[in-house]
Amino acid sequence: MSRFERSPVNITFRIWCSFAVALISVGVLVARLWYLQIEQGAAFRDRSENNRLRTLYVPAARGLILDRHGEVLVRNRPSFNVELVVEDSPDPAQSIAELAEITGEDPAELQARAGKQGKRRRYEPRLILRDVPRDLVARISAQKHRLPGVAISVVPTRDYPHGGMSAHVFGYIREVSGDQLKSPLFSGYLPGDTVGQYGVEADLERYLRGERGARTVIVNARGSKIGEAFASPEKPGADIVLTIDRKVQAAADEALAGKHGAVVAMDPATGEILALASAPQFSPAAFTSEMSKEAWAALVDPKENRLSNRALQGAFPPGSVFKIFVAAAALNEGVVSPAEKVWCPGHYQFGKRSFKCHKHSGHGSVNMFDAIVQSCDVYFYVIGQRLGVDRIFHYAHDLFGLGQPTRLTEGDENAGVMPSTKWKESYFRREEDKKWYPGETLSVAIGQGAVSTTPVQLARALAAVVNGGKLLKPRLVKRVVAGDGRVIEEFPAEPEVIGAAAIEPEAAKLLEGAMVGVVAEARGTGHRAALPKASGIQVGGKTGTAQVASRESGVKEEDHAWFAGYAPAESPRIVVVALVENGGHGGVAAAPIARKVMAAFFGVADEDSPPPVAAKPRRPAAVAARAPLSREG
Amino acid sequence: MLSFSSRIGSQVDWALFGATGLLLCCGLVVLYSAGYDPESSASLFGLASVEFSSPACLRQAVHIGAGLLVMLIGMSIPTQIFFHYSFVLYALAAAMLVCVAGFGVVVNGSRRWLDLGALSIQPAELMKIALIMAVARRLSRSPPRDGKGYGLGELVVPLLLIAVPMALIMQQPDLGTALSLGFVGVAQLLFVGIRPRALLTIVLALGVLAYPAWHMLHEYQQRRIIVLLNPESDPQGSGYHITQSKIAVGSGELFGKGFRGGTQSQLEFLPEHTTDFAFSVLAEEWGFLGSVSVLVLFLALVSSMLRVAGRARDLFSCLLAFGITAQFFAHTVINVGMVIGLMPVVGIPLPLISYGGSAMLSLLFGLGVVQGVSIRRLMFRERA
Repeated sequence: MSRFERSPVNITFRIWCSFAVALISVGVLVARLWYLQIEQGAAFRDRSENNRLRTLYVPAARGLILDRHGEVLVRNRPSFNVELVVEDSPDPAQSIAELAEITGEDPAELQARAGKQGKRRRYEPRLILRDVPRDLVARISAQKHRLPGVAISVVPTRDYPHGGMSAHVFGYIREVSGDQLKSPLFSGYLPGDTVGQYGVEADLERYLRGERGARTVIVNARGSKIGEAFASPEKPGADIVLTIDRKVQAAADEALAGKHGAVVAMDPATGEILALASAPQFSPAAFTSEMSKEAWAALVDPKENRLSNRALQGAFPPGSVFKIFVAAAALNEGVVSPAEKVWCPGHYQFGKRSFKCHKHSGHGSVNMFDAIVQSCDVYFYVIGQRLGVDRIFHYAHDLFGLGQPTRLTEGDENAGVMPSTKWKESYFRREEDKKWYPGETLSVAIGQGAVSTTPVQLARALAAVVNGGKLLKPRLVKRVVAGDGRVIEEFPAEPEVIGAAAIEPEAAKLLEGAMVGVVAEARGTGHRAALPKASGIQVGGKTGTAQVASRESGVKEEDHAWFAGYAPAESPRIVVVALVENGGHGGVAAAPIARKVMAAFFGVADEDSPPPVAAKPRRPAAVAARAPLSREG
Repeated sequence: MLSFSSRIGSQVDWALFGATGLLLCCGLVVLYSAGYDPESSASLFGLASVEFSSPACLRQAVHIGAGLLVMLIGMSIPTQIFFHYSFVLYALAAAMLVCVAGFGVVVNGSRRWLDLGALSIQPAELMKIALIMAVARRLSRSPPRDGKGYGLGELVVPLLLIAVPMALIMQQPDLGTALSLGFVGVAQLLFVGIRPRALLTIVLALGVLAYPAWHMLHEYQQRRIIVLLNPESDPQGSGYHITQSKIAVGSGELFGKGFRGGTQSQLEFLPEHTTDFAFSVLAEEWGFLGSVSVLVLFLALVSSMLRVAGRARDLFSCLLAFGITAQFFAHTVINVGMVIGLMPVVGIPLPLISYGGSAMLSLLFGLGVVQGVSIRRLMFRERA
């Protein structure tokens, strides 16, 4: 071993070199720390916050929907959703495959659902299955070890204690669609949220929805919750009190069962809708869980058209119901006196053409009262001709609101058609089609031809006849009430009047008397609408039997049956319009439905009362009220 | 020996002691936070149960206590003893490494531990100090013949000395330790000097050998190196450690999140935060100021160790102190470089800071040996 001084190497120089290496190395580390902590520090601080904080949304319970007496029509129940947190699963595709095996769903379908939900924040759960039954929840929970990342969440969903009752009024809720999410109207919504898609649920979404809560929790690296950073509580949606009366609605739904048609019941003093039914119905509950392709196909089957609310979207010729409004116009305009008699031989000769009355043997000599009670077509050919189509249009359209949308809901509504010379001019494109032929006026006078109306329009128009001439805005919603009972919005307590039909009181009295006759008299076409004598409630109304223009040639379709009535006759509290598509004669198919609804409203026993003692034998229903279509060129 | 003890006070390198003590304190503070567990009552090696919220910190304090005793032993052993027994120690360590390859205990996929009944030891830890001594002895005994540095022929024996334990440790597999052994041996060689032509030849040969060596690496080691180059490519897998560590370090910003305020470590996003990633905890909670201060302490410690090596009384002592310094420094740079994304994640703990008993003992023993070199710098060689 040699002494330091005699060493062959220059130790001091080497030590300095080593020190330089150490200094440079530490310098590099310090530079890197500067870059990470100072230059990029704020960005890394954000990322560390993102690491530890997860925001979980708490869906708000939707508001309830109540009937006018506070009975719950639509409420909420807890439902179980199956979700996937991709970040918590080492192999999400495997988790989904296992889930598909347990649930028996198509793995590709589940995979698509997990994938299609667009961009999500880290750790935000993706909805895989909505509203799964309890036994499936149990099976999934038991197999949890096979399903990393799969979680079950409990969220409120819609419950319908009365089944499909008045589903067309409530509508349904469904997951917000991709198109809706793109629209600015849905800016506050997240994929997987449910939203009212139809009916009251859609119209009053802003009240019903509530506000979702958010909980920001601190989690550790394994995703377990350590504490809560901050939270905003969810606010349940406000409750909606409808004008619907559940008992009346139930009667309407029941009376329509198995038919295609609609019933509207309305308070003629306020315009409040007491019942609004459309058949065939659909089950709104079907929308809360995953719907199979078959179930969806059945729902949108064009033959059944279940989703269509026929009370607002079904526009058909009103047939003889329309005669009430023609009569009102004729009396008001003075073109006929109540006592004037018209001879009905069973047909009416107009130019070279002969227009038939539905009673081929003729009604003989009839005044206005008789003509309404027996629904004589010839009488109305005559006065219709005297009025001319444009005066009929003025009354029916401008004063009674036929052919005008009622705006009962914000959803689709068929405005119907009320023809006039102007209408024809603007409606047709070919010059020769624009001309109004006088013969067409005859068809319009008996509610045929181009005339089409919806049940809600007719209910509103009839209400105007019996309430002293006020044309009201029909209403479905009474008020919006917060969970604590505070009224958020009261829809006009005073009826909203659109216009005044301004029928002279005597004319109205005569019409009302005639409508009572339709129901009460033996020869009246609407006697099946009469309530039992014991109830002491007198019903008035008018039948309509609208001939159907066959959709396919050679196939004879049954007529559409109408009945529009009201009760009690002396001070009307309810107006009911019933429509049965292809139901045949209005007095046979539609009048009993209206009677059942009224019986429910007045709380009297419903029975098919025997026809009043008949002076003449009743007409057979099949050949009864067949109104001709206008056939002029 | 009387003269030895009287001279201790004047010859001890107090700067070295001071920097060591400060770093040990910093380590305890970091471990208190990193190992915080409010529900724990730590058990001291099964002997007593103590109410203390950070078991890692408490146990590390015990390690340090034992380590300081070992340090005194390292100080008191005369340097000549190391010189005399260096090859014996080297042979013993090499034999144990062979035993490990045969009957070692597998922990975490690596065969590193030798189970000797009552205690289990890591022969690689012994080899670290044995190799430094063996290389120091060889180089001090046969300095370069022409004064310009070693030629190729002269390098065969020292390179074999280095390569054999490296190969044994690499197959455990423990890439980090193997590379640090190689680094220290080569640093000692370079310190004495290698002729430029010989150095160039070796570098070229290593370059050619790199290809088969890459394929000898275990897949997890390859992946770690690949992920180092692009850690974000695999955020849930191998890159997770580096990414989380960089988030921890970066989010500390200038002043840090404060003592026990590091969300990355407290919420366990940071893996192995008491051991390999202790520096991330430090950087997260104490910020740029804290982490640079600790690096400056490390630099101060390394400088005083180099000063001891520079003043050593003979070439063996000098190379011994230099080797220990190089090893200490290499571990520091590799560990810090690793947690800030400059080096592969090779699993080397940060000296004096990271939790670990055997590492603490061997580090403090090494520092004791360096202190011993300082104490004996003015002594004349005693005749054996």
